[in-house]
Amino acid sequence: MNKFSYEQGELLASVFNHWNVEYLFIGKSGAIFYGFPDTTQDADIFPAKNPENGRKLISALRELGYELNPEDELHLIAGKDFIQLRSGPFDLDLVFAPDGIETFADAQSRSLMIDGKFPVASLDDIIASKRAANRAKDRESLPRLEAFRDYLRSRNLTALPANPSESKS
Amino acid sequence: MNSKFNQKQEWEQEFDAAAKRSLRERMRFAFISTYKPVLDDSKLRVFDTIEEYREWCQKNLPQYLGYWR
Repeated sequence: MNKFSYEQGELLASVFNHWNVEYLFIGKSGAIFYGFPDTTQDADIFPAKNPENGRKLISALRELGYELNPEDELHLIAGKDFIQLRSGPFDLDLVFAPDGIETFADAQSRSLMIDGKFPVASLDDIIASKRAANRAKDRESLPRLEAFRDYLRSRNLTALPANPSESKS
Repeated sequence: MNSKFNQKQEWEQEFDAAAKRSLRERMRFAFISTYKPVLDDSKLRVFDTIEEYREWCQKNLPQYLGYWR
């Protein structure tokens, strides 16, 4: 299994855009886009839950190389709350109904486009979702994640610069 | 200095260091790949509800993976 990387993120964003998939990065992978220095193993995607978006998602995932059978496709069209994919180029968790977030539209209205290409749920939403999930790994990471949000706020930043050398010049 | 203050300072130093790296570099360090027992043993899992997924994690995954509530 390949690690998720910037290049794979770019490819995912490009393919999802091509198919007009409505989605946001969320979870710790989302926080990493903001600059949160931590580790994770998979990318978490929050897709809009509607049949049309599900069909677009199927086309995009197929193009990325994920193996999907007809039954899997029905799950994606139905927008089952949680789908864990390990059948493609990198591990992907599709979370159609993340804890602590009312609707996709709400989250999208608060989201940020990182580096001009990565749509990411707001840090507040990522934190709210982890707080509501309340697993051991969430409880462990929350204080540091909240400190990171405070760090950004105290410096009037929405995210760490994607290219610090360019932002200095 | 108390330990809470030290912890905050330590984290801020880590955030300062992260701010000097590009997103590309940060992602190279952030995404890791290690085998997670049970969780990685299936190509696809589907759960009707998040609650069902949480219960499955609680019943099937080793506690040390951190997915238990």
